[in-house]
Amino acid sequence: MSKVVEISPTTRHEGHSKLVLKVNDEGIVERGDWLSITPVRGVEKLAVGKSMHQVPKIASRVCGICPIAHTLAATEAMEASVGCYVPEDAMLLRYILQCANRLHSHALHNILSLPDMYLPGTDTKINPFTPEEPVRSVALRIQRLREIAQTVGEIVGGEAIHPSNPRVGGMYKNITPRAQQKIYDLAKEGRILAHEQSEFMIAVFKNFQNRDWAEVAGRQVPIPDDLGYHNQGYMAAAPIYGSSSLDDNPTWFPERWTEVRPWDWYMGEEEITLEDKDYPVGGTTPAGEKAWPQMQACTGVPLYDGQPVEVGPRARMVQFKNYDLKGAMGLQIARQMEYEACAYGMIEAVDALNTSGKVVADEIPQGDGTLGWAANEAPRGCDVHLAKVKDGKVGWFSMLVPTTWNFPTCSRALTGAPWELAEVIVRAYDPCVSCATHMLVVDENKKIVAQKLLE
Amino acid sequence: MVLGNYKSVVAARSADNEILKGAQDGGIVTQLFAYALEEGIIDGAIVAGPSEEPWKPEPVIATTKAELLAARGTKYTLSPNISLLKEATRSYGLDKIGIVGTPCQMQAVRKAQLYPVGMRDVPDKIALAVGIFCMENFPYQSLEAIVEDHCNVKLESVKKLDIGKGKFWAYTERGAVTQIPLKVTHKYEQPGCHVCLDYVSNLADISTGSVGAPDGWSTVFVRTKNGEDTWGKAIAAGCFETKPIEEVKPGLDLVKKLATDKITKNQKTLEARATFGVGKGLRNPYI
Repeated sequence: MSKVVEISPTTRHEGHSKLVLKVNDEGIVERGDWLSITPVRGVEKLAVGKSMHQVPKIASRVCGICPIAHTLAATEAMEASVGCYVPEDAMLLRYILQCANRLHSHALHNILSLPDMYLPGTDTKINPFTPEEPVRSVALRIQRLREIAQTVGEIVGGEAIHPSNPRVGGMYKNITPRAQQKIYDLAKEGRILAHEQSEFMIAVFKNFQNRDWAEVAGRQVPIPDDLGYHNQGYMAAAPIYGSSSLDDNPTWFPERWTEVRPWDWYMGEEEITLEDKDYPVGGTTPAGEKAWPQMQACTGVPLYDGQPVEVGPRARMVQFKNYDLKGAMGLQIARQMEYEACAYGMIEAVDALNTSGKVVADEIPQGDGTLGWAANEAPRGCDVHLAKVKDGKVGWFSMLVPTTWNFPTCSRALTGAPWELAEVIVRAYDPCVSCATHMLVVDENKKIVAQKLLE
Repeated sequence: MVLGNYKSVVAARSADNEILKGAQDGGIVTQLFAYALEEGIIDGAIVAGPSEEPWKPEPVIATTKAELLAARGTKYTLSPNISLLKEATRSYGLDKIGIVGTPCQMQAVRKAQLYPVGMRDVPDKIALAVGIFCMENFPYQSLEAIVEDHCNVKLESVKKLDIGKGKFWAYTERGAVTQIPLKVTHKYEQPGCHVCLDYVSNLADISTGSVGAPDGWSTVFVRTKNGEDTWGKAIAAGCFETKPIEEVKPGLDLVKKLATDKITKNQKTLEARATFGVGKGLRNPYI
């Protein structure tokens, strides 16, 4: 007899979401729904009619962990729509910004993931706040990595959180030779720390995968070998940066994308029948309450070739490096494997940069309403923005954000896991629920689906 | 207190003739930054450099002595130096910023350090803030009117502008000198200057100006620990000639008198704002 347990809210990821889990008598998930319950802010709708210069700055505010992704994807979607090719040195600055942001984001996610994990070979869980070694050194290394990354982001992007330097047509400013040298020095320091951090984290995640149990709520919960496996596909546009409709050979295909409503995809109304007051910290939703994922999910469900897909570090590794580790830990390990490429990416790009080169296109067309899109490989995966710009104004704007793609995929990946480990699977996706929840879902009659809640 | 807190005050001038040649007074700001750049106390300084238009300053980040020399001389119009404060830590990649400015600009620097609203990474990167004395300032169109109409001199031909001894002076490249009474310039003043209660850059590390010292010399207040360190090292390195302020004419009494006049007058303007309307007043940023 299935029971329903709900974890609300989930923790140690960005934003506000919950897990509604149908479990069997052993507490193993038969069908799980992971859904956003972050209020919809409606960036895509309010973008309509605004200038193509303003919209990327608004889109940036969707998320403060990966604002670079939204700034660059939105800016480049505008450029793709109006047909503006930006100078090479502007692209190099954007590339450095991209690498810096990924470095900081992955390091931040380490802090969020570590408390689920064990010091290899021990039954001691890792508390990143402890002053004790060896964890203290790891925490300090993470801090320094993030400091390096945010500083580099600040120099090339103008600001680490909500970069001010990118603009339609390129960048506002090139950097000085002194700034170039500073980036080089920071990246060289970061390269070594990134290598150490990556090796440490991979050892930790491998150790978790090899364990028989993890302690949750004072119980030993068995860790299945196939924790977090799913059979959905992968989608990635590039190993590091991205692609746009201006490319000769674009690597993302708008015609393969469709979208359905949460109504068509999530579970209907369920009553909570299983409750665990010990679930850390504060217990699960009390029995007797109702959950209705179809109505409560605040995102659309984007599909690629008619299926939910996984995006993110593993998708990039699968697509471009023949990576084959599955499951939650496979995804975590793929993320750590991107560490060093971020540092080397910065070094190579800053080497190639001409600090006296021009960074704004000579001519910035105002657009005739043509559809343009740009995909940015955000830390969490492929972030596609689509835009139609006419006379400098945005006529239509859409954002397909990594965590939106991952919501349904991750929900499928919950099947077969003990419900107590569902959050471990969710965290492997490094979810960014604010990012995912920026849209209003419109059904075929142009009625806003969220309004169903009000009826 | 009209002169602010300070550790010492002297009359001084640069020992570098090249700097003195184009300096407004004793070349204090240019010399200090040149020394601080050379010693690595700062790695760049925000100064009022030249622009396309004559006597219209443009804030620039100087990282060489040549760029500092180009910014010598007082431009009696607005130079928004703080507009580069954050950018200096960004695309310029500076870690130790020098900045020169009027009293209000020193206030902006200190406020950004204590209340950094949208000023991430600025507070700990200010290495040397040099303030200049300031009685009031003029918009560029005001300066054009004063120099071209009242002084009857083309701005392009001007070599030096000065306010002193109750007059506005314009010196041309070809040697002509024009002076007009300050009275006629009053209507051209920037209205925002009329609520300013700081004459000698009370919040700077080191502040300097012409009043109090003889021509070619400057009055220098050394105010903070940081200012004292830098000033002491520069003196030891032989950058400046100094005289005790008591031994020069007109000396500190005149500085104190002008400071008191400015503050008293502007304090009245501020108080009048409270009852500006009928039953309502205008904003007072100090409360």
